[in-house]
Amino acid sequence: MLNLTKNIERIIIRNIEKQYIASYFSAPNEQNDDFKALNLKTNKSQFGPRRPLRKVKPVETRTSQMEVDQDWGSVWPAPRSFHPAVVPLPIRQGYVEKGAPPDKYANAELMKIPNFLHLTPPVIKRQCEALKKFCTPWPKNLNNQEKIEKLFPIEVISSDYCHSSPTIRDPLARIVTIRFKKSALNLNERETDKFRRLVGERYNEENDTVTIVTDRCPLKKQNYDYAMYLLTALYHESKNVEPWEELKNEADMEKYVWENNASKVNVERLFNKTSSEIPNISVYSEALVNYMNEGENDYTVAKYGEAVKQLLNLPSSTK
Amino acid sequence: MNVLIKNIYNPFKTQCQIVRNLHVSPIYLKTQAGRYRITPKKDFPLTYEMANPPHMIASRKAWNSWNTSNVQGGLRSSETAVEDHFIRKFMIGTWHGLFVSEIIIKRQHNIIRIAGLISRTASSRKMYFLIGYTEELLSIWLQCPVKLELQTVADKKDVIFKYI
Repeated sequence: MLNLTKNIERIIIRNIEKQYIASYFSAPNEQNDDFKALNLKTNKSQFGPRRPLRKVKPVETRTSQMEVDQDWGSVWPAPRSFHPAVVPLPIRQGYVEKGAPPDKYANAELMKIPNFLHLTPPVIKRQCEALKKFCTPWPKNLNNQEKIEKLFPIEVISSDYCHSSPTIRDPLARIVTIRFKKSALNLNERETDKFRRLVGERYNEENDTVTIVTDRCPLKKQNYDYAMYLLTALYHESKNVEPWEELKNEADMEKYVWENNASKVNVERLFNKTSSEIPNISVYSEALVNYMNEGENDYTVAKYGEAVKQLLNLPSSTK
Repeated sequence: MNVLIKNIYNPFKTQCQIVRNLHVSPIYLKTQAGRYRITPKKDFPLTYEMANPPHMIASRKAWNSWNTSNVQGGLRSSETAVEDHFIRKFMIGTWHGLFVSEIIIKRQHNIIRIAGLISRTASSRKMYFLIGYTEELLSIWLQCPVKLELQTVADKKDVIFKYI
């Protein structure tokens, strides 16, 4: 493109030269007197003196025209870099070993740091007022934590991420966590046992909560659906009784249960009554269960001894 | 220290020696980037940005690029760096000889805000044109809104912090 324009220029200049030469030779002799010298090359003398640059006076700064009771929210409505002509404050920024820090004019440091001049308290108040019409009141009946937990047993936690980049996608936003109390499922003892085996370490015994984290699908919606599927599957699977589960006998029990054991039969035979009619039987059974489940230590042994004495109406050693 | 390694097997049956030299002298740890040398006449002008060496960033001076790409877990760090460099080059070329400070690039969500100090030598008409031109072209290339927040300086000497 450049070459072409150059070529065209060359051709044009050559044509002009030819014309001049032609006119020079074809000119009549009488006109030679007032012939002007052809000035093809430009000289410095051709131009007149340089015109002085017209200096435009800068407009007066906005700070000098501001009123004391102006509405600052309309002066600085949105986030913006600092501008000294707009902010009527004697701000200084920078470090000088001796003397005052540099002032706000021509101070690049002040332009770098983020400012909150668009978020003054009256502006925040005004924005909150404007947003109020889009808010709905909190349901009146949901006034305490217990009710909330009862009516909304599942807690769904997911995060959104804001970046200073043109993309709104973040792979971490896909992760969904659901949390619920195990007691909200209303499972019986066998079902609870199966549920706990299925859930594994996702169950926290201290606060009785189950936490399920799903992050295997690429989208948040898919992960949420998967978490809901897992919850449904867990519930129904723990309700379901497989044929091999019926084969579980006393040796397979993970805990000592007094009602299922020989101890109950023996006590009933000793008293010749059903276990519910025997006085102090609950103390005895509790102590025995503790002794069997927690293992043999000073405390459980002593407790068990006390319970046996209470059951058989013998004088207590501590009394 | 010279380590001599002889070729054990050579398919062409020619003698060949590989000599490798290892330098074990300590490294001359002298950092020079972003530091200026004192001139004999002490008449070299420095802006505040130049007067503070790089290790003063975050204490005496702030960064010139503000974004979340380089924080832990930040996205698009390489793209952001390349885009910032491109913006700087473009600004220096478009506002030729007008910038008297570094070009500050601040990103908020998808908005890019470019700030800086320019001298008042260009006419206001030219400046309005350049602002619109820069914003338009950069927003087309970077596919996000670009805002220019410039501050003019009457004299270039206004930004000079000290002479060394």
